[in-house]
This record gives sequence, structure tokens and C-alpha cells, in this order.
Amino acid sequence: MKHVRAFCLVMVLAFAISAFGQAGAPAKPAAPAASPAPPQAQSAPPPIDSFSALVDRQVSQYEKNVVEAADAMPAEKFDFTPASLNIPGSSYKDVRTFAQLVKHTATANYRYWTTLTGEKMPENIKGPNGPDELKTKAEIMQFLKDSFAVGHRAAKTVTPQNALELLPFFRGNSPRLLIASGAVIHAADEYGQMVEYLRMNGIVPPASRPQQ
Amino acid sequence: MKHARILWTAIVLFLSAAAIAQAKAAAPAASPTPPPPPTIKGEIDREVSTLEREFVGAAEAMPEDKYDFAPTGLNLSGSEFKGVRTFAEQVKHVAMTNFQLWGPITGDKSPFDAKGDNGPESLKTKAEIVKYLKDSFAVGHKAAQSVTADNMLTSYPNPFGGRNPMTRLFMVTFAVEHAFDHYGQMVEYLRMNGIVPPASRGQ
Repeated sequence: MKHVRAFCLVMVLAFAISAFGQAGAPAKPAAPAASPAPPQAQSAPPPIDSFSALVDRQVSQYEKNVVEAADAMPAEKFDFTPASLNIPGSSYKDVRTFAQLVKHTATANYRYWTTLTGEKMPENIKGPNGPDELKTKAEIMQFLKDSFAVGHRAAKTVTPQNALELLPFFRGNSPRLLIASGAVIHAADEYGQMVEYLRMNGIVPPASRPQQ
Repeated sequence: MKHARILWTAIVLFLSAAAIAQAKAAAPAASPTPPPPPTIKGEIDREVSTLEREFVGAAEAMPEDKYDFAPTGLNLSGSEFKGVRTFAEQVKHVAMTNFQLWGPITGDKSPFDAKGDNGPESLKTKAEIVKYLKDSFAVGHKAAQSVTADNMLTSYPNPFGGRNPMTRLFMVTFAVEHAFDHYGQMVEYLRMNGIVPPASRGQ
């Protein structure tokens, strides 16, 4: 039971997102799992034996999606914004560059998850788009990965007993469970935008590519 | 006698009023009713509601004559949009997946069949598609409201046909994550058509 549940989480997340994440080309009916790789062929992940493990799986999935998407964009395209395409009739005034999408996602991750871990926010975060001094792809990728590392530590703090514990968050209080999952939900939203930025540059998002 | 009765009545009224005022002064200051303590089902339902507000808002913001829009039609130099979903397919796909993930929990089923994962082919107009979307969220609220600490790790048969079951908590929350992924894509579709997403206006 534990194995199949864990297995299910990982595989369904991976396959569903890869199929859903803008592949567009329909998969088999009622089968978002577009990957031809049968789940059974993969090694079973550790069992989901706790609430925190379930939350951690969700952090892991969007870590995979977002980090791979960010990594797929060439360094010279990190300052890309759709505004530069001058699409007739479009409305892209003041939207984020790709780099800002990534830094914003990482910044939000820190904001949500340090609330759970008690860690300090990085001092160089001055606004929602993250540290201005991070310029290179390597620097931004490290910032992003470090934010997800906080997410894994945060997930480990969530238990059925404390899931509803209210913690100060932004202008009010939020339950621990909502703070933990809120970051994942937010990252999913930003990921959807990154997908389009990648495709505008001729890059199919890794999660949407045919599986080997 | 009449005067005495009036005086007595006045004294009683005065003393009563004074007593009431004193009682009020002695009572703790009236404070707003504190919000009820959070519950798992309540918090998850809030997530569904947030998603519903943003997602339905985005779906409604696209004019009907743009529902078949896909970025492929822009022929952007150097882009790669081959085979991507139209705006209508994005909405229908999410609504259908909502039914797939939330329906097994509540016992509801999608009122329409679909051959693929782009949603029911029979739904063509914006009104039909938005109604299908809204109906899926109604199921989402029911599903969220069913989650308790005792049943959140209860497993269900895989709604996508796989042999591995899913937990109730995962099914409810993954639908939200999945939909927000597509919401992010729809945001770009809207902006490509000169429409600022409702949730981003005024920022």
C-alpha cells in the first residue's frame, strides 16, 4: 500500500505534468501519463509513510519541472521577455523577463518555506523579483536550487498534528499546510509562463518532450 | 400621589439605566467574533476557491472569437508551438482533469465524454466550455470539503487508468497545482491577444 501510493505520486506527477505541461498533442484517452515508460519499469521510490513525505513529493515534482525549464533556456536568453517580440495587438508591458520569472519563483519559495523552517530570508532579497545582483544563469540557477532545498526542509516540518498551526505570513496568519503547498501552487503558475517563454524561443520544455 | 408615582418611575428608570451602563462598562470591550479555527477541509477549499477565481476569470476574459487561438497561429519566427493546445482546449483539458481527480471522491462524473485529454469534443461555444469549467469547480468544492485528517490518506483507484492508487489529499491538491500550471500558460495566451489577465490588473 505504501509503495504503490508513493509510486503513484511520483509517477502520476511526473507523467501528468509532462503530458499536461503544454504538450498540446493529446495523449491517450484519459491517460495524461504520456510517457511510454511504464511505471512498473522504474525503481520504486521510498514509501510515503508520512504526511511530510507526501508534501515533499509535491515539492520535488515542481522542483524538477522548474529547474529543468530554467536550465533549458540558454544563458543569452535569460533576459528575454515577450515584449521584445512586438506581437501585434499583444499586451506585454512590464512583464517579467525569463530571469525575473526564475528569480521571482525562487524568492517566493524562500518567502513561503522559510516561514516553516524558521530560517532567515537571504539578505540580498529586496523585492519580489529577487536579488538584483544575480545576473548570470549560473548564479540564478543556484539561487533557484537553494530555494527548493529550503522547500524540502520545510516539507519535513509538516505533520498531521501541526498542519493547521497558524504562522505569521505576509499580513496575516496562515496554516502550515497552506504555506507549504502554496509555494508549490505558485511555482506551477510561474512554470506555465516559463513554458510559453521557452516555446517562443523554439525550445520544447523538457517535461513536454517525448520520453526516452 | 400622581407626582410621587411619576417621581418613583423616574427614579426606577434612572437607576435601571445606570445599572445597565455600569454593566456595560464592566463588561469586556466588545470584540469582533474571532474567526473559526482552521480545518483541513476549509484550507484546501480555500485553495480551490483561489484557483477558481483566477482560472474562471481568465477563461471569461478571452473573447469567444479567440477561443480557438493557439500561439502557432502567430507564426513567430524561431518559435516551437507545434501541436500545442488551443485556448479552448486548455480550458476543457483542465475542467476534464478536475472531474477526473475530484469526481471519484464525490461520486460525480463528467457530464460529457472525451476521446482524448483535450476535453469533450462536443463542447464548442465559450458558454458551453465555461459552464463545464464551473461545474468542475463545484465538484472541487465538494471534494475539498470531504477531506479530514482521518481520510486524507485514503487511496482511490488511479483515475487515469494506471494500476497505482492515489490518496484523497493528493487528488484534491494536485488538481489545483495542475490547473495553475495551465493557468500560467493561459496568461500568456491572453497577453498575446492584448488581454491583461484579470488577476494581474491593477498591479
